Amino acid sequence: MTNPIVSVHGLKKRFGPNEILHGLDFEIPVGRIYGLIGHNGAGKTTTLNAMLGLTSYEGSVQVLGEDPYKHRARLMKNVAFISDVASLPRFLKVRELFAMLSDIHPNFSAERAASFLEGTDVKPGALIANLSKGMLAQLHLAVVMAIDARLLVLDEPTLGLDITYRKRFYRRLLEDYMTADRTLLITTHQVDEIEFMLSDIIFIKDGLVVLHSTMDDVGNRYAQLSVSPDRAEAGMALKPVFAETRFGQTVMVFDGADRGALEVLGAVTTPTLSDLFVALMSRETGVK
Amino acid sequence: MTSFNETQPIFVQIRQRIAAMILNETAKEGEALPSVRSIAADLSVNPLTVTRAYDALVDLDVVESRRGMGMFVASGAREKLLGHERETFLADEWPRIRSQIKALGLDLDALLKEPGK
Repeated sequence: MTNPIVSVHGLKKRFGPNEILHGLDFEIPVGRIYGLIGHNGAGKTTTLNAMLGLTSYEGSVQVLGEDPYKHRARLMKNVAFISDVASLPRFLKVRELFAMLSDIHPNFSAERAASFLEGTDVKPGALIANLSKGMLAQLHLAVVMAIDARLLVLDEPTLGLDITYRKRFYRRLLEDYMTADRTLLITTHQVDEIEFMLSDIIFIKDGLVVLHSTMDDVGNRYAQLSVSPDRAEAGMALKPVFAETRFGQTVMVFDGADRGALEVLGAVTTPTLSDLFVALMSRETGVK
Repeated sequence: MTSFNETQPIFVQIRQRIAAMILNETAKEGEALPSVRSIAADLSVNPLTVTRAYDALVDLDVVESRRGMGMFVASGAREKLLGHERETFLADEWPRIRSQIKALGLDLDALLKEPGK
């Protein structure tokens, strides 16, 4: 068993009198594609910032065996990051950006970055200020993929991009970046698009981890049942964690239920990540 | 092409697509199959999921993993696969279909004789 690439224990973060993170615990093994999923304001970006040494915190965080807040510079040799508010220097040309990065980052290869941009509309001579949003995202991805990093953190990397750019973005990542000794951590609101890319998920709600599971276990543990109104009561008797009526069918999500018992009542499927997210995030109020 | 159904694990669905390529001879015996990486990128799925789909076919001796070269259709693959798929159909699906035909009051002989079905 190799050491986890990230290990977080009792992570708390306070902004003034408000505690934002209430003690997070999780470990991320090498070679996985993790989805960190939560509502706006749930604490995703704060968690990432703590892992990247961008913010102070209480508790223990180790990334590649280092304390990110103390050894940020050393850590950044092996960690690459796209933030949801990332900006690249607008006054530079693409070529100049690559030259600058080669000077400041030991593991950045301008050659690799340029090769990732071949076949795109982002030309080496283009001024960054003149690039469209989609082109900026391509440039940004080319930059981080050209860093020979062991951990790549993507915070809402495809925000504001249209569907073709989003697809191209993830295709690039899987085709040119992901290997068995690299680890990817992604946050996004477009969960359905990356659902099958993920090996594991962490759901965060109000500063707490509500679910940390491999995707395989999600499939084994959770089941979604659609029943007609006359069967709804029988379904409710099996204690779903969530129920909702859509088009005259009641859709229920079960945790750890026997699929055989559910199949008697109606169609059983594995909930999509977005269905599961809705189910678990509204748990307290969902089932009346 | 990229859509999956929600009733079966993704690796099973990918395995079936690869199996279909072998059965309909899109990939002939001895020929190379698409790499794990390219399938993962094409379908936006985790590479480990694709590896698992291939492993299932390697276990059946239908696909051969050649070190550093990728995945190849094994010799005699189509026969083996056909045999295996027939067995699973008869064991898993046929009893269900049969009881459904019965439950719906359909006449099997008549159905088989009906043109275009």
